Amino acid sequence: MEKLIYAIVSVNSDPEKLNELLSGMKGIAGSDIYAVPIHEITAVVSDMKRADLITDKSHAIEYASVIEILTKQFTLIPMRFGSFLKSTGAITKMLETNYYEFQQTLQKVEGKFEFGLKVFCDPEILKTELRSKSEVLVQTAANPDPEIKNSVYREYINRKLKEHRLEELMLTYVDKVISDITGTLVRLDAINKFNRMGTPTNIIDAYFLLKKEKKEELIQMFGDMQNQYPALNLILTGPWPPYNFVDITIN
Amino acid sequence: MINENKILFNTGSLDELSEEIGKLTSNTESRLKLTPNNADSGLAKLVLTLIELIRKLVEKQAMRRVDGGSLTEEEIERLGETLMKLEMKMEELKKHFNLTDRDLNINLGPLGDLM
Repeated sequence: MEKLIYAIVSVNSDPEKLNELLSGMKGIAGSDIYAVPIHEITAVVSDMKRADLITDKSHAIEYASVIEILTKQFTLIPMRFGSFLKSTGAITKMLETNYYEFQQTLQKVEGKFEFGLKVFCDPEILKTELRSKSEVLVQTAANPDPEIKNSVYREYINRKLKEHRLEELMLTYVDKVISDITGTLVRLDAINKFNRMGTPTNIIDAYFLLKKEKKEELIQMFGDMQNQYPALNLILTGPWPPYNFVDITIN
Repeated sequence: MINENKILFNTGSLDELSEEIGKLTSNTESRLKLTPNNADSGLAKLVLTLIELIRKLVEKQAMRRVDGGSLTEEEIERLGETLMKLEMKMEELKKHFNLTDRDLNINLGPLGDLM
């Protein structure tokens, strides 16, 4: 049967502790979970047929739950949902081949957790605020031909130019919010990732990697930021396993 | 099970978050579905998506040039005519293949919408 891999766990301090934890745990569809170790790292796996893994809410929650329980006691690299290898031997080989990359990443995320920030706004309200700044029309030549000035094409360009300027203002505004966040996060020694304007309402999607004990400080920080930007709705979540800070191409 | 409260800070309602999650789970609607039965419309959607993306990039670059003040009145006039006709032609094509703006805005997962 194939092996479904949940995570690569660092067990350099206490390998037995992991085995004890896994002995009472169940994976997707009630499958038993066990460890495939090599040196100080271990793959946490369960036996499963690839065809039995369905991409649905139930399996996703079961998968995330395993990683969530492990992450409370161990430093780990969560594997992408649906990562299969054919045998224990193939897993051992994969761990050996990628040992250096795994160790490097485990060191990067050691003792740290991921926190997520979503910033929402009502785009129409924000645009109304910014619109007044974009009302200047195209600069015209000193003596424009009156026929051209009033043409339908010129009106079209003016309308498009207003939209363009509004978009630019939106991006500048979002960049300013991101800049304020990164400026404040410096003191928490966090690693950040930002996606901007994913959708018209979700203007910022951010992830931070930092020590769990800094959680309260982070909440306080975003409380202050919410007061600074009352038109925005900030939603902070976490702590999560470092889903967005693992970027390994496995050989 | 994950039973820890993961929402650490939120002053508004969670409606927006629920809506965004809903969009993620319904992203299959914005995917290209090419099957033997819909090869024509599936291909049309793919091609029109690419054309629309390029058209918008051209429009954006044109607006940057207009905004930069480097074009003459006549050039702006011609640009307006070209862009307007391109947009009208695009509308015609969308109508012909029964597609909407939403159909052409493919969701790129964590990167958000294409346009």
